[in-house]
Parts: sequence; C-alpha cells; structure tokens
Amino acid sequence: MASLQDIRRRIGSVKNTRKITKALELVAGARLRRAQLRIEEMRPYADRMQELMVGTARAAASFRNLALMQRREVNRVAIVLVTGDRGLAGPFNGQVLRRGFELERQIRGEGHDVAWAVIGRKGASTLRFRRYELSAQWAGFVDRPEYHDAQGVAHRLAELYTSGEVDRVVLVYNRFESALVQRVTVSDLLPIPENVLEAGEDTDLTERERALRGDFIYEPEPEEILQRLLPVYLETEIYRALLESAASFLAAQMTAMRNASKNAEDLVDRLTLAMNRARQAQITQEILEIVAGADALTQ
Amino acid sequence: MADHPLFSVSVVTPEGAAFDGEAELLIVPGAAGEIGVLARHAPLVGMLKAGSTRVHLGDGQVQEFATGPGFFQVLEDRAIALVDDAVKADEIDDARAQAQLEAAQAELAKIESGDSTADRWQLEQRIRHAENQLSVSGRSG
Repeated sequence: MASLQDIRRRIGSVKNTRKITKALELVAGARLRRAQLRIEEMRPYADRMQELMVGTARAAASFRNLALMQRREVNRVAIVLVTGDRGLAGPFNGQVLRRGFELERQIRGEGHDVAWAVIGRKGASTLRFRRYELSAQWAGFVDRPEYHDAQGVAHRLAELYTSGEVDRVVLVYNRFESALVQRVTVSDLLPIPENVLEAGEDTDLTERERALRGDFIYEPEPEEILQRLLPVYLETEIYRALLESAASFLAAQMTAMRNASKNAEDLVDRLTLAMNRARQAQITQEILEIVAGADALTQ
Repeated sequence: MADHPLFSVSVVTPEGAAFDGEAELLIVPGAAGEIGVLARHAPLVGMLKAGSTRVHLGDGQVQEFATGPGFFQVLEDRAIALVDDAVKADEIDDARAQAQLEAAQAELAKIESGDSTADRWQLEQRIRHAENQLSVSGRSG
C-alpha cells in the first residue's frame, strides 16, 4: 500500500491538473459564445450572396460552362480536412481524420486517385506522420478564422481545380449543431453543385421585388457577374466551414475538459478515502505499538 | 443638398453588417466608376471594386467606409452592398495599415527572390486592402 506521503503528493498533483482542465473548460466556454456569434453574423452575407447568385444565374444565358462549375471525368479527388491547431478537444480531430481515411478508401475503391489538403496543424502532422503527400496545407488561423483566410484557401483550391490537377474537391469538417453535438460533415466544394444556382424561391423578397426581378439592370453582363460570384460563393462556403469548425472545436474542448475535471474530482475523492484509510491504519498501528509497549513494561 | 427621401441601405460583410439603416444617398465604387443611388432607383446588380463607400444619412452627415471588392444590388427602395471587408474611415489606423502594407510587400519581395512559399495571390490582396485603407483615410483626413 502506498504511503501516506505518496498519496498526499498524488492528491496535490491531481488537484493541479484539475485546475488546468477547469480553466481550459471556462476559457473554451467563454470563447464558444463568441464563435457562435460569428456564425450568426455571417449568415446575412451568405443568404444575400446566395440570393444574388440565384437571381443572376436566372438572368444569365448559361452558366454550366463556367470554370468552377464544369463537370468532367474524375481522375483525382482532393480531400480537404478541417482540423484544429491543438488537441485536448476529445474526438474533434480524430473523427475528421477517420472520416477522411474512410473517404479515401471509398474513392480509391472507385478507381480514382486522392490528393490531400489540410487546414490545421493536428491534421497536417498526422498525415505527414503517415507519409502522405500534402497538396496544400494551412495553419495558424483555425482558432479564429477571418474571411481573408477563407479567401486564401478558396483561391488555392480553385487553382488546383481549374489547372486540372484535381477534378473534384470535397471538404470534411466538424459541423456545429449545438454545444453538445458536433457532426462530421462531408460537403462537395468543386465543381460547384448546380442546385446551388437553382435553389428555391428567394424567401426574403417582397412580392413586388420578385416581380421586378426580370427588370434588373446588370452591369456588367450577368454571365460576367456570375463568373466573379462563383469564387465568392466558394469563399463563403469555406468561411462557413471554418467558423463552424472553430465553434465545434471549442465545444468539444469544453466537453472534454468538463469530463476531465469531473474525473479529476472523482480521483481526488478516491485518493482522499485511501489517504484517510492509510492514516487510520497508521494510527491503529501506533496505538497497538504503544499498548504492546505498555504491556511489556507492566509484566 | 436638397432633401431626399430616405431608403434602406446596408453594407454587409462576412463578419457582420458594417451599416444597416436609412440613408438618402449611397455612393459605391462600381467596377466601371462610382455609382450613386437615391431612393427609388431602378433595380440594379453590379460589381464593386475596392475603394470608398459613402452613406449620406441626411443633414450633411456622411459615413465613409474603406470597402473591399464585392457586389451591389438595388431592389425596390433597398440597396445592399456585399463586400468582403469594410472599415469605417474614421476607424482606420494609418500606422497599422502602413505596417501591414510594408509587411506584405516585404513578404512579396521574398517570394520574388525565392525565399518564401507564401501564397502570392493572398499577399497581393492584403497589399491592396492596406493601400485602399490608406487612400480612403488620406482623403477623409
């Protein structure tokens, strides 16, 4: 049995760990609220952009031959993983990677080649450890992504696609559903799905605005505007995924750290019990020794 | 300026709305030159380049923004500028913009000499953004 001293020391160390996990939990909780707010803040922009794209596509003579929409025979698929720069967030990084590898097997099973692109240090280090070659990687902004970070990613992916290096791009990320649920989601980035432009009625327009839709003046031509709109759509999609992933990271970290704090508390309770037992045993032992000593003297 | 009826104007960025309210005149940097829009303008869709966006609130009050490239839509009594970035002219920090500009230019020079693999396109965007802020603040200040 461990000595009293040993147990005391362990209790001290577990308590220190608990302080750290508790602090991380609180920090993640506070930052999570901010991250959720940022998802809310980008929604009006994304909605308006979508609305504008649907309207412009309707006015354009054709859009299927635009570079980012062109469907071609698939030889190589790029898998883009959105992970974190750090760990201590439960299954956050692992589940994206696992889904990525599943996807890889499936794509290779269909006879296509796979290219990798990774956002976040954790994913990059795992893939490098497995000796995968990375077509592109980004890090340093996943905690607090800004729009221009998404622009950089979008630009590079569009380049890979238009140069013919890859023929399809899919994104794997943690979608934020609530503080308790983050779901790994796979979404098709490129070619841009046609249904994006054919999306249903614009909900936010008044009757009269809808009637006016046909009379828009386009400056320049709708085709030309659409050509600029598609990359922006891509940026917006990536930005959304980055924000969702950042919020998911904080939520996963908060949950993981809460569990860790709870475990630390349980451990402290158990150790305290063990310590009390050990102390009791020691006292009993001492009394026995004194009594035995006194007995020996009286005889 | 003569009194003009107010209409609803918003300047929206991915990081939230920079302006959302009533105004009598909106001037945006269109791809082919500045576009001024009053209430009851014909429906319009256009492209914007980086530059200065001014919202005239009436009574001679003007709010100016340094805005990035984007799109512009005029609907029935409603004008929306969708831009990738907007900074209020009076909140532009010249020193910071200047520092950003120089850092980006230095990085770009490194790419030219082959010492860096940073994304050239992204750096060019950053340079444009900083230059834009400086030019807008230069005019209003």
